[in-house]
Amino acid sequence: MKNQNVLVIGSGVAGMEASLILADAGLKVHLVEKDSLIGGQTIKFEEVYTNMECATCMLAPKQQEVLQHDNITLYLLSEVKKTEGSAGEFKVQIEKKARYVSLINCIGCAACFDPCPVSLDNEFEEGMSQKKAIAIACPGALPNVPAIDPENCVRLNGKKKDCNACEQACGFGAIDFTEKNETINLEVGAVIVATGFDQFDVSGLAQFGYGKHPNVYTAMEFERLYAQNGPTEGKLTLREERPIKSAGIIHCIGREEKGYCSGVCCMYSMKFAHFIKDKSPDAKIHEFHTDLCVPGKSHQKFYEELSKKIDFIRYEDIEVKGKNGSLEINFTSNNGKKNAVKSDMVILSPAMIPSTGTEKLAKILGISQDSMGFFSTKDQNLSPIDSEKEGIFVIGCAEGPKDIPDSVSQAEAAAGRVLSLLQ
Amino acid sequence: MNKKIGVYVCECGPNIPERIDIDKVIEELSSMDEVKTVKKHSLLCSNDGKKFLKEDIEKEELSHVVVAACSPKDHENTFMKVCEEAGVNPYLFQLVNIREQCAWMIPDKDEATSKAIKYIKAGIQRVMFHDALKKKELEINVDVLVIGGGISGIEASLSLAGPNRKVYLVEKTDALGGMAGKLSRILPHQGTEMGIVKEKIEQVKNNEHIKVYTSSEVKEVRGFLGNFEAVIKSTQENEEGTEEEIKTGAVVLATGFDLFDLKENPVYGYSENENVVSALEFEDMIHSEKIELKNGKKPKSVALIHCAGRKEKGYCSKVCCMYNLKFAHYLKDNLPDVEVKELYMDLCLPHKQDQSYFDKLKDKGVEFIRMDELVKTKKSGDKIEVEYRNNDKKDKFSVDMVVTSPAMVPSKGTSHLAELMNLPLDESGFFKELHEMLNPVATPMEGVYITGCALGPRNIPESITQSHATSGKILSSLIPGRKVKPEVKVSEIKEDLCTGCQTCLSVCFYGAISYDAFKGVSVVNEAICRGCGSCVGSCPSGAIRSKHFTYYQLYLEVLEALR
Repeated sequence: MKNQNVLVIGSGVAGMEASLILADAGLKVHLVEKDSLIGGQTIKFEEVYTNMECATCMLAPKQQEVLQHDNITLYLLSEVKKTEGSAGEFKVQIEKKARYVSLINCIGCAACFDPCPVSLDNEFEEGMSQKKAIAIACPGALPNVPAIDPENCVRLNGKKKDCNACEQACGFGAIDFTEKNETINLEVGAVIVATGFDQFDVSGLAQFGYGKHPNVYTAMEFERLYAQNGPTEGKLTLREERPIKSAGIIHCIGREEKGYCSGVCCMYSMKFAHFIKDKSPDAKIHEFHTDLCVPGKSHQKFYEELSKKIDFIRYEDIEVKGKNGSLEINFTSNNGKKNAVKSDMVILSPAMIPSTGTEKLAKILGISQDSMGFFSTKDQNLSPIDSEKEGIFVIGCAEGPKDIPDSVSQAEAAAGRVLSLLQ
Repeated sequence: MNKKIGVYVCECGPNIPERIDIDKVIEELSSMDEVKTVKKHSLLCSNDGKKFLKEDIEKEELSHVVVAACSPKDHENTFMKVCEEAGVNPYLFQLVNIREQCAWMIPDKDEATSKAIKYIKAGIQRVMFHDALKKKELEINVDVLVIGGGISGIEASLSLAGPNRKVYLVEKTDALGGMAGKLSRILPHQGTEMGIVKEKIEQVKNNEHIKVYTSSEVKEVRGFLGNFEAVIKSTQENEEGTEEEIKTGAVVLATGFDLFDLKENPVYGYSENENVVSALEFEDMIHSEKIELKNGKKPKSVALIHCAGRKEKGYCSKVCCMYNLKFAHYLKDNLPDVEVKELYMDLCLPHKQDQSYFDKLKDKGVEFIRMDELVKTKKSGDKIEVEYRNNDKKDKFSVDMVVTSPAMVPSKGTSHLAELMNLPLDESGFFKELHEMLNPVATPMEGVYITGCALGPRNIPESITQSHATSGKILSSLIPGRKVKPEVKVSEIKEDLCTGCQTCLSVCFYGAISYDAFKGVSVVNEAICRGCGSCVGSCPSGAIRSKHFTYYQLYLEVLEALR
């Protein structure tokens, strides 16, 4: 391989790890991220299982390393548009959208937020809170520099061309409305795809009442609900701001529809129960599962400790109904008996699906998707991270549902494969 | 040395002046004798700020620098670099946090200002007694010692070996291949045969950069990243005493697993029933293409019992559900009319392609029976009666043959090596990785990595990935020609105060302290020490000193802060 540059697509836990290992080895890494911040899905979690460590604290040093590493060039609000060539000499075209805020001059003082006249739903917070047209995704987002949403900013979308509230508030001249989208052409020797996952859309399953009953939450919504930097600053309340006295957590949502087990939901569902019980020791919690997937060394113990405090129910059928302002979970347990449990809140644990844009990116890279929509890899058994094209690797949840340790292992492995091809 | 301290107060944009009266701070500090100059700047970490800082340090001919600004985690390195560029030893520097620890948390301006002044004064008292520590560089060896010749060790060796890097692969049995080498069909998804392992063994043998030692053990491993020394000993009877000493830069542990002993619990009926076999014995049968009962007849009914040892060991072994499906497929494809029952607790199918492999089996008429607990496996005439409990109801069935899947347990090699190298084990006896989430193949000993089932139950693709992960980490850090820069802020033991009690040794997480039996004292290896300070606190004689957190430094800092 001649070219010692590597393209990494996606700055979640896997993309960051691969980038750092390659950068430490002396290679030049081009890290492309479509969002305005780095950290992927993991930074949305308050805690991770099983040691219940703070996810953002855990990742912050890695994020800082990525932001400060001399060998990593980070492209935010960027996507890969075209690729051609082969291992050792890929030609890649990246489209970098304008941020309108300078990453160098902005010091993250947040003085520009209040004066902005436009409010919109914050996607990062699963729509549970609002943000301005100039905003950072959440407190603690890195880089700590806001971006302006050109579709909603009234100056940029033409609705009020003379609005410069943020510019006036900025003491550092960091705002630049004249910034343009950029097209960047790169030549790299290898490509690592780390585009992560999205959450299965539960609104299509009417039996769970999501969207119909306000206190039915998806896992991601609950993650943001109990996050200290989230919409309620970690206060566990229902949508109408009542405390949670009982919760039902339902596993395997979308398993049948998608045809695979997502491997992590049993554990994170238990993490939720553990957290709620910790904050509200009197809360009554039920976990509804089919098979219990607890493959890690410490996982079964976590389950056994939790089963002393909450009820685990093995179900065959299950649905959620709204009754008199409360929720009722009707189920058939695996002994054939029908039963019902009342709950203040229901949390649905949905399948992990390939992130949006997987289909488009697969075509751009010239690699295929498997029957479940994840990027296909050459040999599931011997080289699970090699795509069908030499020099292109797929890691983390872009390859298939997996937990953080496995994503990190795959990232380090991809870095190893790239380094060993150059040795 | 004539100490000339410069204090720089950063405004951090609007962050600090909004909450702290900076002019008052400067006024207070300027009256201190030790302080040569006190200046403020709007943003010290910016390019302008750093330029200003460097030029001012040079102009004022400072010997020590204190910056009052944000958290050391943000910019300690930034300002240390500036000091170095300005000709001041970077360790004669202190960053005082008046942002997160004063401005951002105290709403009252007077209170915040007074705390900031105290903090900075304390920092000044401290920095005066810093030592001008020197950075070190060490030459390194880039070769690798791989312990364990199963699929994980083989894969690590193949991905690491190259013209600039030798691999020493040590295997205690007389052949490479490990557990994977004993399996007939290792890849349920494509039905690929054991030939894959054989192929890889051939690749290892033909690789001129890999030196293989079979029937050998590692007797000793000493050293640190870039500088390990190991002794390899032959275990063959006629070669007892043959030892070889090698030098490497890293060590990869790939000592694999053993299987739970089914004899441990009579409920599995293993010793009493000749037609109750373990999963590994069944693999042998598949390999020799002879699925037979002990009387030579073919079984008409087979029960595959999952989870043997799961309750006893306290964890799920992750791979058994899938290999049992593999067994069921094989039985249905090769024995006409055989009845197959799978008795399981939970179906563990965590990989994306697992469930479809299970779905295919339903068409072949395999019966899946859920159990909470296995009650008994006993002889019943020619057959074996299996009794189980599900939902408080007991039930039973009889079959000709039972294949029981035992839990994966750590191999004996694992506990032996852990003791030899002072590495931590988890509760179940597997190696403990450095960080459950972010460092799955590293150990607290820098330069020592682990892959495969030595870490815990996992399947072959996962083990192969982890071997590549260890190789990623090694290829990234042990580069020929590169030097290793060990931590500077380490601990040191005063020989004349040390009583040789070795308390420090027992608290050192990194294995950085060794006992010199000749002198009767403990010694810190500065190349391994990470400067955590645990030993300092543990020493009953007060013989250990942290080079950058001395009692004197801390005492003066706290004294000033509490004045």
